[in-house]
Amino acid sequence: MEDKNRLFTDVLVVGAGPSGLSCAIHLANKLNCGGEKKRIMVIDKGSEVGAHILSGALIKEEAFKELLNEEEFENLPTQGKVIIDKTLKLSPSSSYALPFNPPYMNNLNRTIISLSQVCRYLAKLAEEKGVEIYSGFAVDNFIYDEGNIIGIKCKDTGVNHNGEKQKNFQEGTKVEAKLIVLAEGTRGSLAKKVKDKFNLRAKSNPQSYSLGIKELWNVKEGSIKGGEAYHTFGYPLNTKEEFGGGFLYGLKDNKVALGFAVGLDYEDPTLDPNALMQIWKQHPFIKNILKDGNIVEYGAKTIPEGGWNSVSKLYIDNLLIVGDSAGFVAMPALKGVHLAVTSGMCAAETAYIALIKDDFTEATLKKYEKLIENSRIKKELYPVRNFRAVMSQGLFYGGYKFGISLVTNGYSPLTPLLPKDSKTTKKLKEYNGELFKDRFKDKLEFDKVLTFDKDTSVFYSGTAHDEEQLVHLHVKNMDEFNNSNIKEYGMPCQYFCPAAVYEEHIDKQNNHALKIHAENCVHCKTCDIKTPNDEITWNTPYGGDGPQYQNM
Amino acid sequence: MATTIISLMKQVPLPSQMRMGDDGLMDRTKAKSIINIDCSFALEAGLQLKSMISGAKLIVCSMGPPSFNQSLKKAISMGYDEAYLLSDRKLGGSDTFATGLAISTMLKHLGFGKGANEDFIIVAGRQTSDGDTAHIPSQVAENMGIPQATFIEDIQYEDGHIIARRIIEGGYQILKLPKPCTLSLTPTGIPPRRPSLAGTVRARETKVTVFSIDDVNLSDEKIGLSGSPTIVAKVANIKSQRAPAIFCDGEGTSDLVESLIENIKKGKNSLEETVKKEIKKKEMPEDYERVDFRKGASGILTWAELANGEITRPSLELLTPARNLANSLESGTKVTTLLIGSKVEHLAKELIYHGSDEVIVVDDERLEEYRILPFSSIFEQIIKKYNPEIALFSATTAGRELAPRTAVKTQSGVTADCTSLEIGEHLDRKNKRIFSPILESRRPTYGESKLATILGFHCPQISTARAGTFEVPPRDESAKGKITTFKPVLEEKDFITQIIKTVRGDGGLANLFDADIIISGGRGTIGDEMKLIKDLVNTLKDKGISAEYGSSRPMVDEGICEYARQVGQTGKTVRPKVYVAVGISGAIQHIAGMKESDTIIAINKHSNASIFSHSDFALVGDYEDIIPELIDRVKKGFAFGLKQNGDKGSKDV
Repeated sequence: MEDKNRLFTDVLVVGAGPSGLSCAIHLANKLNCGGEKKRIMVIDKGSEVGAHILSGALIKEEAFKELLNEEEFENLPTQGKVIIDKTLKLSPSSSYALPFNPPYMNNLNRTIISLSQVCRYLAKLAEEKGVEIYSGFAVDNFIYDEGNIIGIKCKDTGVNHNGEKQKNFQEGTKVEAKLIVLAEGTRGSLAKKVKDKFNLRAKSNPQSYSLGIKELWNVKEGSIKGGEAYHTFGYPLNTKEEFGGGFLYGLKDNKVALGFAVGLDYEDPTLDPNALMQIWKQHPFIKNILKDGNIVEYGAKTIPEGGWNSVSKLYIDNLLIVGDSAGFVAMPALKGVHLAVTSGMCAAETAYIALIKDDFTEATLKKYEKLIENSRIKKELYPVRNFRAVMSQGLFYGGYKFGISLVTNGYSPLTPLLPKDSKTTKKLKEYNGELFKDRFKDKLEFDKVLTFDKDTSVFYSGTAHDEEQLVHLHVKNMDEFNNSNIKEYGMPCQYFCPAAVYEEHIDKQNNHALKIHAENCVHCKTCDIKTPNDEITWNTPYGGDGPQYQNM
Repeated sequence: MATTIISLMKQVPLPSQMRMGDDGLMDRTKAKSIINIDCSFALEAGLQLKSMISGAKLIVCSMGPPSFNQSLKKAISMGYDEAYLLSDRKLGGSDTFATGLAISTMLKHLGFGKGANEDFIIVAGRQTSDGDTAHIPSQVAENMGIPQATFIEDIQYEDGHIIARRIIEGGYQILKLPKPCTLSLTPTGIPPRRPSLAGTVRARETKVTVFSIDDVNLSDEKIGLSGSPTIVAKVANIKSQRAPAIFCDGEGTSDLVESLIENIKKGKNSLEETVKKEIKKKEMPEDYERVDFRKGASGILTWAELANGEITRPSLELLTPARNLANSLESGTKVTTLLIGSKVEHLAKELIYHGSDEVIVVDDERLEEYRILPFSSIFEQIIKKYNPEIALFSATTAGRELAPRTAVKTQSGVTADCTSLEIGEHLDRKNKRIFSPILESRRPTYGESKLATILGFHCPQISTARAGTFEVPPRDESAKGKITTFKPVLEEKDFITQIIKTVRGDGGLANLFDADIIISGGRGTIGDEMKLIKDLVNTLKDKGISAEYGSSRPMVDEGICEYARQVGQTGKTVRPKVYVAVGISGAIQHIAGMKESDTIIAINKHSNASIFSHSDFALVGDYEDIIPELIDRVKKGFAFGLKQNGDKGSKDV
């Protein structure tokens, strides 16, 4: 009997972000040009395209010029060009603008966008070219044939907390594809599976990440002009051991995009990135701009920033990995969107050749690696390959070494090997500095006007999850979690999670236990990255669940 | 021939994004749209039925603008076979009466409802979030001439019959219905399944059949504003009238509760008295023609609903607006109450004591329990005979189906779930006419944020009144009235739906309305399944305080609390002296059901919970710590400021 719940396609792209959509568009262009009829499907777990997309974003437009024709490029939705471009060093009460921007940080005349908007636009173009896009579907498994991946299986829905089938059970559709392109974005769960199972990390460093928190505000007329762009470093970070900084861009219509990113290789078990963002907003420079404004949206996402040294092998039989899932972010410039587009296009070139040859083995797909090496991706990533590693030594020493690397095409003496972010957190007892929660104890009250507690912040992400499903955040071993994460580390997840998913519940007998509020999750994946001993695994919840970003 | 399952579906704006146009009609252009929640439960019920009826075909029907396509496609992606949309600009402005007629006409066009021995089942949502009337399923059933069961939570299929579990006041009822029939589903049954990817791909390739009114032979004058017996005359904003809460503070639970006790003694914050503005009488132009559209219809008819052989409290409440309306009309306007049941004549006096001028008794042993078909038929016969100008029902699960089904028989409009009923005048500037007198039915709408005034121009003008809104009139044993008996003509087929079982709990409706203090649990109290709350209630009862427990909707959805105890827009409106909200976040739907309480105390561990903006006293903390402390204090004499020993005192008005 025909299996009604099984589909077949030539190319399946998982993830409708900039890399996945660029791959689909470029491939469709090439196929349409050659008069070839092939089926391209894109699926995304967000309720609609763009719902799970979050970025600064200041972009380099060049990649889009390559992807799109002139008219398509003209209509790319943007928030204007950068007209003022400043880097500020913040101290608790003052700011100092650097006379010139650090290397790779010149953004004058670059384009400001909302990546959610751009992705919705790209999706529309792709559909016009015959690409089928389905949002609201989560993929949690591969289908195999003799050890080879030949397709994916969407997540089953209609199970209860214990995973038991309910009356409204709906088995996930299986999709067989000649070629699968994983474009899941940062810390993709399928990409993680593939990299582990096929040992693709053999020759690369582990990936390291930052957590970026972003808010979108409506501000009073005149507070800021569209096109003003500020990057800050220093306060409130302890720049000796914490890496990161803030950004604030003036958009159209008195809107402001602002955010704060912090490297997840920090040691303080109580560091709270969302609180950092809230404290940062209280700095006079930021506060003045936001005065009398109101928050519109909130979100968070991790950024893979290990750079070239953390890029794993990116192809196996029938499968390619692109974009943030591959780790294509140029770190000192804080830019990955254009590399995502380029990697998508490289994947499309490769897919085209494979489709023509009808050969999807590594022998053909190896071409993808060649294309990456000859593209702007290597050109931009290779010279700065040690940036993030030397920066782990603190802003000043790291900055000095990064300076050296600039004149040696990236070579830096005594480059430390970046450990996994889950290994850098120190136990409470072993952490020598002043703990974050003590350092800022008088700044952790939020007024709900300028600053917000996490529950309120989460409200502005629009996130929602069906409560009838397995908790998508999986703790490997609760006893070990209690003994180590709670007792020794003081449960860092309650601090690093920007969405108040993890609560340390203390009962009357003073027992400490983990309580998970999975419904708050904004899919940033920090817990999957930063939890000591990798005790927490982020699995995808039902498709359509999660944040509802409109203009992030 | 295989069974056809027809699902009626409406697309609605996301409740949080609803806006209204200047014309008082819904502006659907700006909000993001979803399938109405209740309808999505009906879609699932259809799919469940299909799994029980081999070879059944599933079709989904809707009426609305072309944008409804997306929701119809979603139904296909869930597993429906065909989709139909009645879409025509001329349908704009249709009220429920016209909508019920239009949908039925489309179904007839599709070949259903034409004769005997048909094999189809209509499933629909209980009500829509942008209308909240719950009329359409009943009106479609009447137009199609088939039996119905509304407010259904669960459906089984046995030997060609539907076994449906229907929510009634204070409990539930198991009904057995033949095919064809109409079922309306509450959103408490099986949640809608998520579409599969394969289904979504199929939906992409399936075409929705779109009909215009000409396609289904529906004439202009039967739909839109001209086909609608009711109009929305006015819409006003509703504003909250509660002063900011006093936050109790203290180190530890004991201090916190102590602080509450102290604060209750000191009294709550009060708003500065706003002087009630004299409502300006609208100037009515003198040269306009005054139209009395009643054409001889006179009097107010109400229904006395029974439960466990007693007259329900909401039915007695109805006599308050009924009397007020009668007093505002010509002198001699009578309040007549219809009492239907088996061996119920002795109850007639009770109605007269509460203000009825005449009680019509229909006594028949087949009518012991309420059933829609015979009861609506009796109402039709009484209305034909007595020709009342107004008919009032309480907005119980029975009243909310009986009113619209009766209204189709009498060609009247219905206004659902009213909180105010007054006599007024309507100015028709276009035609230089004044309709007078006319019933102004006011009902909260759009998530309780607006108060809409609805007018009907056909007699009887029918409304259902929200339970708990009006006071029970004082009982006066010296009141005089007439008791008449009426023998209706009933047919065998009026009894085609069998009642298998009726279950009414001890708690629920009446107790909830009578209690001086209600302790309600929300999602935050799922942990102990409200055990602590029940303990507190029992402790209060032991002290002679009339206390009850209630809940917000999630607790009913979780099956922890029965529907009859649900407080809120889709449950009960209560007005106790003290309302304690425990672990309730404060969704607007819940607020709607308790905001009239004298004193509101909120316990929630999230200091930013919105319930605190609707309360007088706020306790931030874990209920599992606070309630045991409260129980302790109640044992020692704390009574939330209420009098003890069963002395209820008189209610503040």
